[in-house]
Amino acid sequence: MIEFSNVTKTYKGVKALDDVSFAVGPGSVTGFVGPNGAGKSTALRILVGLGRATSGSATVCGRPYHELERPACQVGTLLDAGALHPGRSGRETLTLGAITLGLPRSRVDEALDLVGLTRAEARRAVGSYSLGMRQRLGIAHALLAKPRALVLDEPVNGLDPQGIHWMRALLRDLADAGCAVLLSSHLLHEVEQVADHIVVIGRGRVLVQGGVAELNRGRSLEQTFLELTADADRSLA
Amino acid sequence: MTVPFHRLLIVETRKLFDTRSAMILTAVLLLLTVAAIAGRGLYIGPDLQRLVWTAGLGYANLLPVLGILTVTNEWSHRTALTTFALEPRRWRVMAAKAVPPTLAAAVASLFALLVAVPATALAGAVRHVPAHWNATPATMAGWTATNVLFTLAGVALGALLLNAPAAIVVYLASTGVWNAVAMLGGTGETLAEWLDLNRTAAPLATGDWADVAPARLAASAALWIVIPLLLGVVRVSRREVR
Repeated sequence: MIEFSNVTKTYKGVKALDDVSFAVGPGSVTGFVGPNGAGKSTALRILVGLGRATSGSATVCGRPYHELERPACQVGTLLDAGALHPGRSGRETLTLGAITLGLPRSRVDEALDLVGLTRAEARRAVGSYSLGMRQRLGIAHALLAKPRALVLDEPVNGLDPQGIHWMRALLRDLADAGCAVLLSSHLLHEVEQVADHIVVIGRGRVLVQGGVAELNRGRSLEQTFLELTADADRSLA
Repeated sequence: MTVPFHRLLIVETRKLFDTRSAMILTAVLLLLTVAAIAGRGLYIGPDLQRLVWTAGLGYANLLPVLGILTVTNEWSHRTALTTFALEPRRWRVMAAKAVPPTLAAAVASLFALLVAVPATALAGAVRHVPAHWNATPATMAGWTATNVLFTLAGVALGALLLNAPAAIVVYLASTGVWNAVAMLGGTGETLAEWLDLNRTAAPLATGDWADVAPARLAASAALWIVIPLLLGVVRVSRREVR
């Protein structure tokens, strides 16, 4: 459903993404894992048309995001939980999304319930939210239109253990209902618990990808991850 | 079929008023208008037209700032990430953004008249002098049009620079810069006469329609509104959103 084909992105001569190819099928959770600065956010933003690939293509159902019919109804996105207007209430943030997408206002309450934000919390300005609450609000926004695909950039950042547990269950349920879920994280451990497939990226290149069970064969995935990304990590130091 | 334009309009209009800072700006605008008109009414007496223009002193700075913030807010708070994911055709969002501040400028102009009418009556009663009901539809229209033009200039500058402090500084400094340019001899004076929106719109603001030079007004509006707005839309459309 989501497909990256040979996506390369060059910033001022530096390759932020180098020939990235992978696919996310319906009914599965794919973890997009790599150290900070590996190119995860860049790739996800290219997917939803907020950035442009220098070459290659990123598509949803075979088409570029901006050519989709009602793209945001088909692909729910949470790209940065910090990118919310601090002076706007949580409810109003969702209401703006619901109006834009032509959804009934009742979806706002449903989405709030789904992510466990209370009515009182939703009335408060987002500026007073913890990062975990912002993540929940962002997930609610992504799920407003009940999309068939979900793209989440670092959604477990700032969540407490209960929140992480809740997020795993939610993503599992969505995938079991047929949704294609792509989530990025720099924490392999968090992703390993929920993902069916893992794509490891380092310095803009896909280092390894496959099913979690398959990648875990023989030795732990963590060991593999650390070895593969050791280079990438050092480059940041 | 993507997002119909009227929905973008509704959303962008809500964004003008649904945040704390927006509500404060609106409240300040309304209170300043009432206070300025009432205060001046007691001071200069019951002159409806001059009382309406009193509101213009605040409007000339606050409405363009409102226009600037409408556009730059998406970038200062990075909500552009969401906005342009919901509507990838960014020029349509930008078009929708230009409308609410324009309407707000028109409504604010009408509000000034609504405040000035009782203020004029009150000032006349307090000072025991006959009131001058001298505002005409023609002068009101010209003044409202000027407020709308300045607000659009704010929107355009915000779209071009995508940075609130920079746009506000450029806007506020422009008056002084033009006055300096006008003092640079004949060429400077000609330049200012053609390109300074403050100068070209001055007869419009006072309702002296006969003195309005359409070519000069068009030239200055092109420089301050049309060109920056178009460049801004191109910039926003091409920019990578982060």
